[in-house]
Amino acid sequence: MYSSEHSNDEKLDALFRAFQAACPDRDPSVSFMPGVWQRIEARRRFTFSFHHMANGFVTAAVALTIVLGVYMSLPHTKASPNSPISYLEALADANTLDTPEIVGPVRLDLSESVQ
Amino acid sequence: MLVDFELIERAQKGDAAAFNEVVTAYRKRIMGVVTRLIARPEDVEDVAQEVFLRLYYSLDQLRTAQVFEPWLYRLTVNAAYDYLRKQRRRQEFRMSDLSEQQVMMADAAAGGRVEHNEQQQKKIRESVDSLLGAVSEADRILLMLKEVEGLSLKELEKIYKVNENALKVRLFRARQRVLKAFAASAKREQTS
Repeated sequence: MYSSEHSNDEKLDALFRAFQAACPDRDPSVSFMPGVWQRIEARRRFTFSFHHMANGFVTAAVALTIVLGVYMSLPHTKASPNSPISYLEALADANTLDTPEIVGPVRLDLSESVQ
Repeated sequence: MLVDFELIERAQKGDAAAFNEVVTAYRKRIMGVVTRLIARPEDVEDVAQEVFLRLYYSLDQLRTAQVFEPWLYRLTVNAAYDYLRKQRRRQEFRMSDLSEQQVMMADAAAGGRVEHNEQQQKKIRESVDSLLGAVSEADRILLMLKEVEGLSLKELEKIYKVNENALKVRLFRARQRVLKAFAASAKREQTS
């Protein structure tokens, strides 16, 4: 049993040695260096265009934020007299805030508690 | 070191000529390592170019030129690992993957009778490639670096940044798995 394991160990080592001999260091082709630089340039172009696009997006987002901010900060002019009043305005006219049934102060009838 | 530290420092500063010199000095060695790690000659140049591409874009992260070689090995290991993972050609390890021919090949290798013609070399590459199907891509690379590239545990420690004992355990387990596959194949050959 032990000798068989030992023998397999040796055989595996031999196979690895043979593998090393079967895969020697080899010279690269003439297109190796140009290929490396092509890849570097391609990556650089991609990074540049992505960076450019991201910058454009950020600029557009900032511009939009400023425009919206300015728009929101402007006082809104009242609707023209010809236009119908809004629902909320109509409701406010019909039920003023001092209408007791709606929002008046709670009135306590103290007469019963005194008795 | 195949190049001066000064050349690496120049390449780090963006000197294209210096980078070219570094690539020229190391390309043959890196191609050899990649050949043995992936065992597919047709894709070696592609993976080696990927290594140097990664080197170009990560040179600025290199702390000191003294650790350049382990750094380059690490990039090579990572590129080979990514390639092997992408390939996914090795499916689940099956006993049938190991042919009788592989066992005969190992016997012949042990006896020093292997003829190193292209056909034989191809068969050896295929045998080892198939045997290494018994372990994960990461273990395969680790095993290759130790058994075939002949790197010491100290060198592996620098590449993987893992302590020696952990590496020993991992290597032992990986080798045991490959041995088990090899033994099963040998047993099958004996019974047939």
